[in-house]
Amino acid sequence: MMSTFSAKDLLIEQQDFQQILIRGKGDGSFAEAVNKEISFLPPSDNLRMVGNDKYLFAKQSFDQWSLVCLAKKSDKEMINLISSLNQNEGILASDYSHTSYFEFTGENKNYYLNKITHFDFRQKKFPASTMAQTLIARIDCCIYNLKDKYLITCHSSFEDYFKDRLQDTIKI
Amino acid sequence: MSENKIYFKFDGKTYGGNQGDTIASALLRNEVKLVGRSFKYHRPRGIYTCGIEEPNALVQLINEHNEPNVRATVKKIYDGMVVKSQNRWPSLKRDLGSINNLLSPIFSAGFYYKTFMGPKGFWKNVYEPLIRRTAGLGKPPREFKSKSIHLHHNIDILIVGGGLAGLLAAKKLAGTDQDVLLVERDNNLGGILRNSNKIKSIDGQKSADWIEKTEWLLKSANNIKILKNTTVTTYNYKDHLIAIEDKTVGAQPDNNKPELVMHKIRTKHTVLANGHIERFLSFRNNDLPGVMLAASFEKYIHRYGVVADTSPVIFTNNSSTFSLLKTMVDMNHKPKAYVDVRDSKKIEKETLELINNYNIPFYPKSEIEGCEGKNQIEKVFIRTKKDKTLKIKTSMLCISGGLNPDIHLFTQSKGLVKWDEKILTFKPEKSFQNTITLGSVSGNFHFEKLVEEVNKKLGFIEGCNNVNTNIEVLGPKEFYIKEIWETKSLKKSLWSKSFIDLQNDVTTKDLRQAIREGFDRIEHLKRFTTNSMGTDQGKISSINALGIASKLLKKSVSEVGTTTYRPPYSPVSFSAIAGRSTYEFYDPVRKTPIHPWHEKQNAVFEDVGQWKRPWYFKKNENESMRDAVQRESKKVRESAGILDGSTLGKIEIKGRDALQFINLMYTNSFTKMKPMSGRYGLMLGEDGMVKDDGIVCKINDQHFIATTTTGGAASVLSHMEEYAQTEWPHMNVFMNSITEQFSTFNLSGPKSRIIIQRVFPSVDFSNEKFPYMTFKFLDYLDTQVRILRASFTGELGYEIYVPPKHALKLWERIFYSSRDIELVPYGTETMHLLRAEKGYIIVGQDTDGTVTPIDLNLNWMIGKNKNDFIGKRSLNRSDIIKSDRKQLVGLVPIDKSYGIEEGQHVIEQENLSTPIKKPVKMLGQVTSSYFSPTLNHSVAMALIKEGNRKIGSHLFVSTSNLNTIAVEVVKPNFIDPENVRLKS
Repeated sequence: MMSTFSAKDLLIEQQDFQQILIRGKGDGSFAEAVNKEISFLPPSDNLRMVGNDKYLFAKQSFDQWSLVCLAKKSDKEMINLISSLNQNEGILASDYSHTSYFEFTGENKNYYLNKITHFDFRQKKFPASTMAQTLIARIDCCIYNLKDKYLITCHSSFEDYFKDRLQDTIKI
Repeated sequence: MSENKIYFKFDGKTYGGNQGDTIASALLRNEVKLVGRSFKYHRPRGIYTCGIEEPNALVQLINEHNEPNVRATVKKIYDGMVVKSQNRWPSLKRDLGSINNLLSPIFSAGFYYKTFMGPKGFWKNVYEPLIRRTAGLGKPPREFKSKSIHLHHNIDILIVGGGLAGLLAAKKLAGTDQDVLLVERDNNLGGILRNSNKIKSIDGQKSADWIEKTEWLLKSANNIKILKNTTVTTYNYKDHLIAIEDKTVGAQPDNNKPELVMHKIRTKHTVLANGHIERFLSFRNNDLPGVMLAASFEKYIHRYGVVADTSPVIFTNNSSTFSLLKTMVDMNHKPKAYVDVRDSKKIEKETLELINNYNIPFYPKSEIEGCEGKNQIEKVFIRTKKDKTLKIKTSMLCISGGLNPDIHLFTQSKGLVKWDEKILTFKPEKSFQNTITLGSVSGNFHFEKLVEEVNKKLGFIEGCNNVNTNIEVLGPKEFYIKEIWETKSLKKSLWSKSFIDLQNDVTTKDLRQAIREGFDRIEHLKRFTTNSMGTDQGKISSINALGIASKLLKKSVSEVGTTTYRPPYSPVSFSAIAGRSTYEFYDPVRKTPIHPWHEKQNAVFEDVGQWKRPWYFKKNENESMRDAVQRESKKVRESAGILDGSTLGKIEIKGRDALQFINLMYTNSFTKMKPMSGRYGLMLGEDGMVKDDGIVCKINDQHFIATTTTGGAASVLSHMEEYAQTEWPHMNVFMNSITEQFSTFNLSGPKSRIIIQRVFPSVDFSNEKFPYMTFKFLDYLDTQVRILRASFTGELGYEIYVPPKHALKLWERIFYSSRDIELVPYGTETMHLLRAEKGYIIVGQDTDGTVTPIDLNLNWMIGKNKNDFIGKRSLNRSDIIKSDRKQLVGLVPIDKSYGIEEGQHVIEQENLSTPIKKPVKMLGQVTSSYFSPTLNHSVAMALIKEGNRKIGSHLFVSTSNLNTIAVEVVKPNFIDPENVRLKS
């Protein structure tokens, strides 16, 4: 169920995106193989994020990337895309669509988030077009800095808990 | 100060106070001086200070929080507040516990250590219950649901203290690129500017005007945040500080709002501008209500408009009391006497002028010998320079034994401190972290030099200009002090005591006794006497203890050294520490996509890691767990059952070297394994002990999917990653956790084939076309499912892996397809029972980190021809291959009506004496035990010494009431040992 929470200068909207988690060496052939499938080069700098209308592409660690599909694909299209990526010997692509996505906007987003995470959201430490993996409300989350908003993802099994924590954080 | 009158109760009597009053200031306003009883001797105690350093005035708040040991000198009153005194019975004025005071000779230092040594058994049965009943001051809340929260800050500069030094530092940093947080303990900025008349003017303005303008300036700066009512309690490495904000200041706690906020602050630099604390002096009965620190007495006047007494006696050894003297005479109140241990030649001229101009009785080179009174001070005894003793009637004695820089936080940060002979105290010498001290905390009691200090110490920060503030001081510019820690007592009686630690009732006599007994190291002395171990940590007295110890030991204070100041600086409520991680948020909760269905079906849930798993399903409200599990188990064996196994760990492994990697991670050989088949795999640690197990599915030699136990999912992935990244980085292999990406259903039972055939009619599920331990990918709706023929029950079974968004519908479709077949949902307890009947182990239940595959009779799972795998070398260690290790066996009670308890010992002897007096030879322990509805008796698995050799023999299992049950040792496989059902 899609949820929306709000407080003063804060809006949290749940989104329904799809995602592929990609592992690989990150060398030229890796970039070429990915580019061939989605016409989009993976970022090479750690924690850097690039995006267009269809995708957010972030390098999560030295050999791991997350590809968030902003434009809805059918299940078949996803299976085919993952299958095509997996045709390459040096790539492991796994469907990560069963992830919960929350968009945070508003001036107070850092204040509320800092009730449940120690993460340093200051621009000088967490600039736009970067991502981070950290604990929020004691669960593993990814944060994508989209300049005027954050996209925060977590495992769907935590969704109810995470939403309860967000509501509590806003309320109290 | 607002004049709005508010009313509160103290010990049942209603008093009026002003908005902004603390409990202490309101009580003093009402001329109440007796507020509590001391910890050990139950002596009458009053208000000693005007702040967080208070050792005496601890009270109990009566409200939902029922907060004990509240400092009356800190807590603001609110309308309707109910306050009670503590540690007295039947009343504060007449406390029967005060008899302890007369028994004080037996309560001397080390009383507990010396007294409770015997006789045998008394500690457990007499002493401990008695001490627990009488110990402590207030009473904690019985039921209180905290709403405290945590708030994290990442900043560049933290300023601790919003007094003069802190405000100057903040002013210097205003408008720079630095993110600054200014934290003030009080509800107002200004510190000493508001608490005394030491400063005449700042920049030509009155102190209050300057504070207001400066606060406005700081609030207008985009880079500075101010937190009031917030106490920094902890200074951790690396520049990580904890501060507690009281959100209920002057107001009744709101049940929907946090009462406390724990601020967790990560900073680049910490500016400590937290000032100093006045210390007391030890003399006879220095604890009586009416004895108060001089600066605190003055603070009550300036901050709260409360003159606790219009003609107190002042006793000092330093120049700081000039300020109080000036305040008193400015108000036309004349102190009854001014007693100074210094020679009049050494006393600053400003003080002498006041004394002369106002004709104040003056006693230089004199000291207070002691004081007397019943429930408060009534008279003081002055020993003059001619060694004569004078008696003066008074109800208030203001004392000052010197000023201590408040170095608690500095020493918590591991900064080094040094004794300063001029000001007779420890002050910061060298920082260990990025710590800067400003003002009196750095030992600078010279206000006019403060601006220079701020500019010098903060000069390295880019972009800040010098502050040019002109501070005009009233009174002596320099600080003069004469060493004195204790005055000599003349009157000796059981009642008369000279205290060194008011909160823990430690006397100077205790210090002397402890040193006589050989506790000549300050840390030992502290622990033996409990000096400075109260919740106030001896803030007003610990330096005095060092001074007295140094005299007794004939060493300098520097040589004696100081004890370690440990966090927290002031007591922290457990609710603040817990924050929101309590009750419903105690631990994060994970749910499977089928969770709502389980709830509708009356599932009772079990916590497995953070997952909520159905434990069993209640058919009706009256069905017990045992009945539910027996029913579920029977139905699975007779018909079919389905388990939500979505929580099982799943790891996708792919790469050119995936086969080699899998062969190294598991004991089994996967080389000859056919594609699209599965194999039960065993994973060991480097010590050769079983770490995890699960089914490994081979899509092809470069692509595998492994399952793990629910609890082991994260650690197995981490284990694999560690080896891939650190031991075998040359391998081309990658892995992703896909636990969340597939829901898993375990369909099991003789009718499971019929059911699955109906759900997926296009697939041939016959034994020939879909044999045991093979899997297929199937198109389902718009997506794909994977079906593995495997079983954890010993019955014909299938594991269905489906993308979660389709999971609930498929689950419901399975039930719909089997509406004419008895299909039961079953929980983890039934799963455990069924697998135990079959003899399947659960890692973590039948193993405990000390069990090898050989111990489990799983030798067949070890690839004999494999060159290597993790743990292989350890399996050849002499300790691992010795014959008398514990081995997994089955146990069946001889008398089938008995049940076997899990965790009980397996032993050889039938009878156990009660209580057990001689050692009993333990052979091992029962790891799993269930009542089998199929066999109609208990079955159990156990790890026992030389278990394999004992098969067929009879042993005994202990019970919780120290009886034994006779059991037969059997192979750990109770149902279908030929696997006929499994492979049917």
